[in-house]
Parts: sequence; structure tokens; C-alpha cells
Amino acid sequence: MKAKPFGLVFFPAFDWAISPSHPEREERLLYTRDQIVEEGLLDLPGIREYKPRLAEIRDAERVHIGVPDIASLITDAHLVSAGGAITAAEAVMKGEVERAFALVRPPGHHAMQVVHGTRGFCTVNIEAIMVEYLRRHYGIGRVAIVDTDVHHGDGTQDIFYHDPDTLFISFHQDGRTLYPGTGFPNEAGSPRAYGTTLNLPLPPGTTDEGLHYVLDEFILPVLEDFQPDLVINSAGQDNHYSDPLAGMAITAQGYARLADKLKADIAVLEGGYSIEAALPYVNTGIILAMAGLDYSRVIEPDRAGRKESMSGQAMAYVKALTQEQRSLWRDRERLGREAAARAGDFWQRRRGIYYDDSGISEEREEIVRLCPNCLGYRTIATSSEGYGTGYKTAFAAVLPRRACPACRAAAQDAVRAEKQRGNHRHYFIQDWDNDLLERI
Amino acid sequence: MLLGIDVGGTFTDAVVVGEDGILAQAKVPTTHGNLLAGILAVMDEALAGLEPGALRRVALSTTIVTNTVVEGKTDPVALFLLPGPGLDLAGLIPGAPQRLTGYIDHRGRETAAPLEEEVREACRSSGLELCAVAGKFAVRNPKHELAVAGWLRKYASPEHITLGSAVSGGLNFWRRVNSAYYNAAVWRTFGRFAAAAEDAVRRRGIVAPLYILKADGGTIPLPAARELPLEAVFTGPAASVLGVMALAAPAGEAVSLDIGGTTTDIALWRDGAPLFAERGAKVSGYPTAVRSFWLHSVGVGGDSHVRREAGEIAVGPERRGPAMAAGGPEPTVADAMIVAGLADFGDAGKAAAAMGRLAAPGQESRAVAGEVLAAAAEKICQAIAAMIEERAAEPVYRVEDILHGVRPQPKAVIGVGGAAAGLAPIVARKLGLDSIIPEGATVANAIGAALARPTLEITLRADTEQGYYTVAELGLHGRLPERRLSLADAERIAARHLADRAAKAGIPVTDLETVAAEEFNVVRGFSTTGKIITCRLQIKPGVTAAGREGGDW
Repeated sequence: MKAKPFGLVFFPAFDWAISPSHPEREERLLYTRDQIVEEGLLDLPGIREYKPRLAEIRDAERVHIGVPDIASLITDAHLVSAGGAITAAEAVMKGEVERAFALVRPPGHHAMQVVHGTRGFCTVNIEAIMVEYLRRHYGIGRVAIVDTDVHHGDGTQDIFYHDPDTLFISFHQDGRTLYPGTGFPNEAGSPRAYGTTLNLPLPPGTTDEGLHYVLDEFILPVLEDFQPDLVINSAGQDNHYSDPLAGMAITAQGYARLADKLKADIAVLEGGYSIEAALPYVNTGIILAMAGLDYSRVIEPDRAGRKESMSGQAMAYVKALTQEQRSLWRDRERLGREAAARAGDFWQRRRGIYYDDSGISEEREEIVRLCPNCLGYRTIATSSEGYGTGYKTAFAAVLPRRACPACRAAAQDAVRAEKQRGNHRHYFIQDWDNDLLERI
Repeated sequence: MLLGIDVGGTFTDAVVVGEDGILAQAKVPTTHGNLLAGILAVMDEALAGLEPGALRRVALSTTIVTNTVVEGKTDPVALFLLPGPGLDLAGLIPGAPQRLTGYIDHRGRETAAPLEEEVREACRSSGLELCAVAGKFAVRNPKHELAVAGWLRKYASPEHITLGSAVSGGLNFWRRVNSAYYNAAVWRTFGRFAAAAEDAVRRRGIVAPLYILKADGGTIPLPAARELPLEAVFTGPAASVLGVMALAAPAGEAVSLDIGGTTTDIALWRDGAPLFAERGAKVSGYPTAVRSFWLHSVGVGGDSHVRREAGEIAVGPERRGPAMAAGGPEPTVADAMIVAGLADFGDAGKAAAAMGRLAAPGQESRAVAGEVLAAAAEKICQAIAAMIEERAAEPVYRVEDILHGVRPQPKAVIGVGGAAAGLAPIVARKLGLDSIIPEGATVANAIGAALARPTLEITLRADTEQGYYTVAELGLHGRLPERRLSLADAERIAARHLADRAAKAGIPVTDLETVAAEEFNVVRGFSTTGKIITCRLQIKPGVTAAGREGGDW
């Protein structure tokens, strides 16, 4: 039997930028385009290139609650990149390709469920939109998302923080040293989804050695335990040693071997801003590895003489962290029960979130009902203030999949009562079973 | 007076075109094994009674290169690669390449130098008469390829060296490697053919320059073709497309059908020009950088075998012989055309008998013929629909093109080739379009060759941050006169180089067009430090308008 090809959705958005000199500008994937076209990758019989489709606003609203609405916060480019992720995923689901890579921009992994603007270059979460599209249209159940961007995938974490069917694993440069400043081991999911959020903050300077230790000793065994229907890779490339916005030391070989071991069904590009020295080689490496081709010759021209091993101290830190997270994973059910017991009937958290690209700061309070019969509805009260955007407030209730009748009623009541009080400007109910974002 | 000759698989056609149209035409069987014999025979027949000295141009569309490749009669080539990091091409390219040190990166910067010693060492082995040298990103800086070629000349004195950057100015190392290899592999055979053809033509008193048709529908003077013989591969379909251009000149969007004995070649047209294939042609299964029109071939033609399968009429792709009307063994599409009154040759009674064989109980032969032609047309319609889908699914890299990408919407069907009169109108009717069957449709290929204009292409890439520009096809890598450069400036520089190159090759410069252009700001440290501008210009392929008062008559 002939092996199925590998699918590539390449969309460099050559006419789109956040602003002319922003890292997310037209030029970002220019040199990557040059490299993959020059290599002839798009002509290989084992690689099939797809044109991205346009996602619809409703695909975004299946996941997001935009304040005042998603349509006014995004550009067409976001619908193309989200659509590109969906195109890649559908090619896999329809069995046309073995696995697929959406090499698209703009990225999405910093976009949370509630969206007031653009943060960390992201406005909508293209992986989350893709995952929920697959659940809606292909009946997918358990999904694992492995985020290999140097920045913590706080948006994806936020969206799936209460969902025990979505395992989110992120390794990244320690949040004490890098945007967005989150992603610590104690962020492990709300009580009903405890342990399906797993964070591995790695020390600056981590090399292929440290990364592959974490991969071999923790990520791959956890995936084996979780038995997902699909593995998604949020394939940021800014752990590369040459990235100007971060301080890690991963090579193109390190990334390619990661892709080879992870065997993600679908990879989606996230960050990566060393547009000349890293991206052409990292993307070539990932494409070859995912397509099952030899990637051993993909070596950056400036790599010779670089230090490949980690200091004993840094390696000891990585090993201890891995050990700590292994215990969390092993004891997740007990730890979840304990967290639920401490919380009582409702689990809640309050956070300040900032949108660096839009110049907005948001205050958000989230309350989850720890329902005995379902995952429990949750409410989100949010307000934001920013340059040019003024003061925006919203109150939303979210009904998770398979919400019980009591939670359905309580969510309705909560939003209507809040509207009566009139403390907010916009009111929403997001109903995941019925695939609806209702404005109240 | 222009002479066009098209060597086809079965026949070799010639036409002589004057200002008032076709002056003479001739057809002889193709002489496989000695193509030149047939070419000369058809030429002599077509020119009988005409004054050879009055010819202004002789253009030849020949299968010499295609046959050399298909029959595996290519010469061995020593292939030298400077692949640098990336995909390992082992197993994906012909021959056993010699891998050399040296790398040019995507910006055209040298990141590792080539080593003369390596080349000198390689020159100790034999079999270096024909060489091909290809470096990754050599189109951004041909320095390494030129250095290696220089060392090869110094240590091995090969007969010929093809450089990857000379065969195409576009990105795609894999394709350039294959192109360079096959160009060198057919160089000798084509050279012998070209010399013999030129000699024979001159001996007939023809002083007009000889041109060779290329797969992209342009012609090049014979001496230029001898350096890039691979360009002359797969010219048959290109000749026929040019014939359509000469005979029907579709103004807007259209679909053209060249309906022959066993196949129909389909091309889509926009703004009066046929669409080009997004990627180069395949030679011997290897993707190359040879540009060609975008054609799909479907197995339906006049001689296609027709039968009933599970009650349904089935057409082609097989040919079991000529029409029964012409003494063939089985019913064909042409038999149906005769019965339907759309063709008139052979024995009409036998054609009716052919339809009788296919008839359902109680079905009259005219009704059978209608059913056969509808089935044949349906296959062509499906192929057209698939082409339109394929074009619409072609990846684009700008948001604007996703939002406003237009799918082809042909407004007319143009039919040429022997069976066009019978089938093209039915295809058009099914698509709800008008059909055009131009006069002279049966020798469209030779007319296309006769009227094809010379073309030439050039790719200029300017990197103002680094202060240089390259024109790969010319092996040029030079300083930019100033750091400020606009796309229009770049196009002007490119046009100048294209004109120079054309003049050297003896090609008149008409109808220059920019076929692709892009411009990016280079931003480093939050400020714009330069621009990267790429533009590809060409002398537009096309036909000399019949009857036009033109310098090239």
C-alpha cells in the first residue's frame, strides 16, 4: 500500500502586518517561502499543498466571546489563518493525508476565550477554533495540544482550562523571564480538569538536550497515558537559538527531531521571529520530519561551533521540574478532588490580563460551578480599558458540553439577573452543546 | 512569407503563410529514426513552386528532444551539486551527483566557499565530456556555479557545461538540477540535429533565420537553442495552442480543444492568452524548470474506441484502429460523427453498421450516434471542470487573493484538430457556450509554429539592504547603482538587460511584459533597512498577426 502524503497549508500572508515594523509583518515568512520553494518541497510526491479556506465568524464564536464582537476585532487575515488550520485538519480527517502542517500566519495561541483586542500578536486562537470545528463536524473526543512555542500558550490554556477532554501541554521559556509571564506548574486546570493543563517552564538557554529530555521523559509518556484521538502541535519556532525575542538554544535539528517523535496529526505554526536564520531551516526540518523524509541535512549555516550541551545546574533544574510534573500527572485525580473540596460549590479566579498589541488591560473574574452532574456552567465578568478602545464591559455565561438542565437554567438566570443589575455593557451565553453564542 | 513545420507523432505538417493567409500546406508521415528526412520532404512539398529566397523565417517544432529523452538515448552527464543544508536529493534526481562544498543562502550570501581542490580531485575520473553544475540559491548569486564551471574547464575541458542558474531564474533547486542535467544530456543530439537541419535548409537556397519552438510557445533562434536544447521538449501541444491563437484569437476567457485521433488537449485562456502551468514540465518523470502552457489531455478523439459497458456507452481512452467507415475493426467516435452528419469520409454504410452494433433494442442509428457524441463530449466537459477546480484550488499567498480569487469562467469553446468540427460544438452546447471552429483548424499546429514569435525571459532580484542585484539567466551579480530603488526602477533595469540579451540572440524586442513582481520591506531592529524586489519580465509569447505589415515578414 502506498503511504498517504503529508499535507501542507502554506499561507505567508504577504499582504498583512500588525504594523509596518512589527515582528508580525509581511516579511516574516518570505525567507521560509524562499527556502521551501528552493528545496522543491512543494513538488515532492509525498507532499500535497492546500489552499486555505476562509473560516467563518461562527467558527470563531464557537470558541471566543469578543467584546463587543469578534468581527470588529479581527481582519480577514485571521479568518484565513484559522481557515488554514481547519483546512489542514480536514485533510487529515478525510484521510487525504497522513498528517498536516498549517504553516500560516497570523498566529493564535495567546488569544483567550474572551477577546478584547490583540495580545502577543494573537487575536483569535486558530488551534482552538480548529479543535472545536473538528469536535462539531467530525465528532472528535479527546485532543492533546502540545505547545512548543517559546512563549507560554496562555490563550489555549485559558480556553481549555476547564475541559478534561483536552490535554494542553506547554513547554516554554520560564515566565519569570519572558512574555506573557505565566505557565507555571501550579497552573494545572480547574478542579474538574485538573492535570489536563501541564506547564514546563524551562530555563533560558535550554538546548536540544534539555528539550528532548522533557519530551522523552514526560511529554511522550503523558500522551501515551492520555490516549488522545488527535495530537495537535502548536508549532512555534522561537525556542531557536537565534530568535530575537527570546533566549533559548534549540536548533533546527532539535525541532525536526521533536516533530519526528511527537508525530502530531496536525501542526499549526505559532511564533518564531528569527525570520532569516531560523525559520527557513526549522520549517524545512519540520516539514521533512512530518512527511517522513530524511531531515538529517537540515543544519543552519551558522550552527558550527555552537555549544550543544546544557550546564549541569540547568539540566538538574529541568530534571527536577520533570519529576515534579510527573508526580502531578500521576496524582492528578486526587489533587483535583482536593482542589474541588477546598473550593466548595464554586471555583473562582480573578485575573488581570493585558493586550500588549492593542494597549488594553482587562480585569476578569471567572466562576465555575462544581456541579455534581456535569462539568458545570461558568460565568465570566470582564472589563477592559485601553488606548482608543475606551472602557468595555461584558458578562457571559458558558455552558460546557453535556451541560445538565440545572446548569442550563442557572446560567440563563445568572446572565439575566446581571443584565437587570446593568453593571455591564454586553451580555452573552455561549452554549457549546448547541453551538450558539447568544447575545442577551 | 513564413514557413512553419510541426513534427508530430504520426504526421509532419508544414504550412507557408503569406500576408494574405496560407499559401501552401503539406503533410507527410513522420520519419521516426530520421526526423530530418520527413522535415525536408514536407518542406520541399510545401515550397514547391514558391521562391525559397522569399522566406523571412523558418520555424520548426520538433520532437527530437522529446524522443531522445523518451527513448532513453540521452548522453551520460557528470552532475556537480552545491546543495548546502536541506533536503537530500539522492534518489530524486537522474544520475549520480558529485556533492561539493560551498553554500549560498536565501539572501545570496556565501556561507561556505567552494573548494577548487574538490573539483580538481573529481576531474581525475573519466566521463566529464558533458557536465551540469547546480547550486542551491545560485539564482540569488551564481558565483559558485561559475567558479566550479571555471575549474572544470581548467582541469577537464568538457565539451559542454550547463549551469542550473542559466536554465531558469526562478527558485526551485530540484527542478533546476533536473533541467540542467537533461539539458546537458540532450545537448549533443540536438546539436547534431541542428547542424544537419541548418545545412539542409541552406542548401535549398533558404537564407531566412531558423527558429526552434519552445514548450512555452515562444521560439528561439537556432544558435540560442543549441545552448538550451531542453527548451525544445514537448513543443507539439504548444504549437497547436499557438495555432488557436493565430486562427481564433480568443479575446476574453475561453477554453480551447485540440481534438485529434486519440486525445483532446485542453487549454484555458484569459485575456487572449493561454494560461501557463504553475510548475515546470516533467521530463522522464523528473520535474524540471521548463515552462509550458497549462494543458490537460483526455483520452477522447475521433478514433477512440466506443462500446457499451453495463448498458452505458463508453468512449476511449483506447484506440483499436481507424473508424469502421475507414476500414477499422470497431466502432469509433468518428463513425458516430459520420452518421450524425458531422463528418464526411469513408464508407457511410459501415459507419451506420458501427452504430447498429452499439444500438440498444429498437434504437435507431442516428440516436446511437447522438448518444456516443454526448458521451464523448461529457468526458471532455468533465476534464474542463476538473481543470477549473484545479485552478481555483491553486494556493495563493496573499489575503487579497484569497478574498478575491476568481475561478476561470470560459465564455467560448474553440476547437481545432481533425475531430473538432464534430465534437467541439456539442461540448460547447453542454457548457452553454458558443463554439468557434476556425478555418485551417486541421493544420493549426503548423500554423502555430510558422507564426510563433521569439520569446525570452529574465528574472531580476534586487536586495537593496545588501546593495546588489542578480539576473540569474545572465550569470549577473552586480552592485546596485544606489540604495533607493522602486519596483518601477527594477523593472527598468530588467527591461534593459532583457533587451541586451535579445539583441545578442537576434530577437526583436516587442511586447515586453512583467509576468511576476513582488516587493518586500526588510525591517531590522524596528526600522526599514532596505527592500527586496523581484520581477520577471518576458517578451510575450504570441503569434505574428497574419496579414500584418510587420518587420518580421
